[in-house]
Amino acid sequence: MRRVTQDLLLGGVFSALCGWLFKALLLTAGRTSAPELAAKKDEPVWPPLAESAAEVASYTIEAKLDAERHYITAHETIRFVNRSSVALNELWFHLYLNAFKNDKTLFLRSPFGAGRSGDKAKEYGYVDVKKLTIVGADAQDLWANRDRHSPNDPEDETDIRVPLPSPLEPGKTLELALEFEDQLPELVERTGFVGSFHFVGQWFPKLARLEANGTFAHFSFHAQSEFYSDFGNYDVSLDVPSTFRVGATGSRVSETRDKGRTRLAYHAQNVHDFAWTAWDRFETRSERIAGTEVRVLYPPHQEQNAEAELASVRFALPHFNARYGPYPYSTLTLVHPPESAANAGGMEYPQLITTGGPWYGTFGGAHFIDIVTTHELGHQWFYGLLASNEHTEPFLDEGFNSYAEAEALETRYGSASVFGGLGLSVSSTALNRLFSAARGEDEKIAQGAADFATFRSLGALVYSRTATVLSTLARVYGRERFNHALGVYTRKFRFQHPTKADFLNVIQGELDGRAVTALTLALSERATVDYLVREISNAPVSAPAGVFDGPGGREQKKPEAPHEAAEYTSRVVVYRHGTLELPVDIELRFEDGTKQLRHWDGNGFTFNVDNVGPSKLASVYVDPEQRVLLDDDRSNNWLTTKSNSTPRVRERALYAAQVMLGAFGP
Amino acid sequence: MNGGAEDRLTRRSMPVAAAMLIWISRTVFGLLATYPLVLAVRATSMTAGPEGDAVLFQPGSLLLLELLRLGAPWFGAAVEFALLMLGLSAVLELIPLSMALDLLATPGRSLLERLARALRLFPKFLVLGVIGLLVQAALLLAASLLGSALKPAFADERLQSIMPLALIGLGLVACAWFGAVLDIARATLVRALAPSGARVALAQAVDCLRHRPLRVLLGSYSSVAGSALALLAAAWLLTRFVAPEPSSAAVALTFAVHQFAMLFAIAWRVRWLGSALELSAESD
Repeated sequence: MRRVTQDLLLGGVFSALCGWLFKALLLTAGRTSAPELAAKKDEPVWPPLAESAAEVASYTIEAKLDAERHYITAHETIRFVNRSSVALNELWFHLYLNAFKNDKTLFLRSPFGAGRSGDKAKEYGYVDVKKLTIVGADAQDLWANRDRHSPNDPEDETDIRVPLPSPLEPGKTLELALEFEDQLPELVERTGFVGSFHFVGQWFPKLARLEANGTFAHFSFHAQSEFYSDFGNYDVSLDVPSTFRVGATGSRVSETRDKGRTRLAYHAQNVHDFAWTAWDRFETRSERIAGTEVRVLYPPHQEQNAEAELASVRFALPHFNARYGPYPYSTLTLVHPPESAANAGGMEYPQLITTGGPWYGTFGGAHFIDIVTTHELGHQWFYGLLASNEHTEPFLDEGFNSYAEAEALETRYGSASVFGGLGLSVSSTALNRLFSAARGEDEKIAQGAADFATFRSLGALVYSRTATVLSTLARVYGRERFNHALGVYTRKFRFQHPTKADFLNVIQGELDGRAVTALTLALSERATVDYLVREISNAPVSAPAGVFDGPGGREQKKPEAPHEAAEYTSRVVVYRHGTLELPVDIELRFEDGTKQLRHWDGNGFTFNVDNVGPSKLASVYVDPEQRVLLDDDRSNNWLTTKSNSTPRVRERALYAAQVMLGAFGP
Repeated sequence: MNGGAEDRLTRRSMPVAAAMLIWISRTVFGLLATYPLVLAVRATSMTAGPEGDAVLFQPGSLLLLELLRLGAPWFGAAVEFALLMLGLSAVLELIPLSMALDLLATPGRSLLERLARALRLFPKFLVLGVIGLLVQAALLLAASLLGSALKPAFADERLQSIMPLALIGLGLVACAWFGAVLDIARATLVRALAPSGARVALAQAVDCLRHRPLRVLLGSYSSVAGSALALLAAAWLLTRFVAPEPSSAAVALTFAVHQFAMLFAIAWRVRWLGSALELSAESD
């Protein structure tokens, strides 16, 4: 009995200690408090910031949700100003929701599944426009004259042309009235329902963006593509069952209840889209952060995720404000969808972002919740306020935002921005570089979303490689200098729909022409670079021997007898493969322990590093600070005369094997 | 020193010898099993720089990920081979285990005699090992299937993910306890003066569990908990106190902490093996 009691006590104490250690190691690993941003010594000089966008397309919508049928009945008014230089004879509408109408749409016909999630639709969705009229004109239904424009996809109804009865002159305004109904799909990607959860994005008939030359930037909804729209103001009222909680773009301006229904009115200014969500199981938290009212909607039992998301906003909102110009809106809504509706997660809309992740997302040292929250928040600048064309130049949003996300997370968490625990840290920059190097030459970065061969290719190039290109510039030119250039770009082009050329112009002014060349090659030409070292040579310096004809006549000097040399001449040749010319440092280490740093501006294909000194050259390391993240292969950046040593690898491998034998052995 | 004191000293030193024997065999098998992985790492040239493999453990893991990218073609084969070697090592570890039980059961034999006995018992140990593997696999499969079947019954997403994990956890506890029963059967085989079959030894061990459930379950439980504590404490110590960018001193310290934890875990296993021998003797 004594033995049983002893074992019971020991087992109990050990288990309690194991529980405590397990919690310390896995559940709370990687948690750090957000540091205050270091006070700036000198306030940078920024270009003036636009306070509002030129109003082109403003929408007033009254929508009613039938939560049982997942059906929306709506009335929409569009106030459209022709801000182009030519008269318009037609309008182009995006009916994005029709992407989920049948398996023959451009979006769903992919044999590999639909878009990013890879899931196929189970219950289809669509938008039916019942009527389109011009307010103040006769009641002619313009929708009757519409035609579809999805080349090779006759069943696709996402890109619609509507002829105007009379031209709309430059500067003139047109007011349109529409009746439409939505059948929401089961959530395939970002929009639809799962059970009583509804996420309603890209749900209303929306005008394509009008370019300055009078053309509409219209396109069929491709699974790899995102959006492009004009700025305007939105007044939207939503009629939902009173048991539902709602989150939406903009600020809530009124709420009325009647007969089990709630009518909520929202107003949003200077935005280019409107999305909303409604669910009867949402929990909410609100907090004022950096002058913005932040509200989190999250599923039951996910308080820890909600807190992590608020903590991310507490850090990232002031950080992005300082980097890219102040967030101009008074509200921000974060939506954490339930696990069953994960396809609604990780998306951005003006003043509303969706996060995501399981209830244990904050455990174990992984910063998944912080990553998704910071990334989607960053979109408020690159997608929301700059509003570049995500269909033709997706890297301007997703790529630049991936850089901004990594920069913010590394400011917050240092090198453990993706994972920190169990003695291992993984940074966002390292992860971006991994994907970038793996697929760097597959396709060019600067191309349309629909032109990428696969979504994986788009992911690696648009997100990771663009971020790696920008990180390389930041490391080569200095982080503060590059970040300032990016800050100039985001301020100068707020509400302006900038293009790649606009960004290159800023880089030309803020950095230099070499940076513009490197960027152009890296973004548009699939350019790569690989620095490598092949051999180290050392030779003793001795007095010159041979036959010398001098003023005093012919002199013959014999070679010196072998002896310990006082000096050595050393040479190493560094090669540059690829067409990107980026400057690098080269570290030389000598046998006596001294080090030298040489600089190569990257011009030419080879660079001879010569040295004469008292010690032999023992090793060489190209780019020891890892500035050129675009370097294709880092395993050839060094050479040493010593043998290849792996004590750390052997130690960890041995211990892992011992633990496995202990766990699974006899 | 009189004969009685010498005998006591010998008896006390036997657990230490048994623990050292298991540690040495586990270290040798571990080194052999992981050698292909070390070769694969070297083949990438990622450790050929002036800082050797220290670059792989730099904060941020940029070069560790580069190693995984560049070495992927070699690592697949190396990992497969290492796992095969680990499987083989797990089988061969039955010999030092048998010798360790013999050390605890019968002091005074020479190492060669113990090795000869272990080799004779090896087929029976192997049979017990196969039975153990099959029963433990069945237990885990049942836990997994039950978890999948019950998952849709929960509306709460948190319960949906906790419940299968909890069932797998229970399955692992059951596996550990079945392992304890196997240890008693092995102890019975080692103690047997006359040759005895694996089936008889297992039946006797199950009988022992029936008659002394608390001693079997708690004895093995404290051993497993002690081993887990040693490994977790090592991880915690190294995470908190060893510099993230490892110097040579940090490598030596890490090695020392890991091996101390391993020895501590083995010591608890040896303590349980002693209990298994006692339980086996009481069941005669």
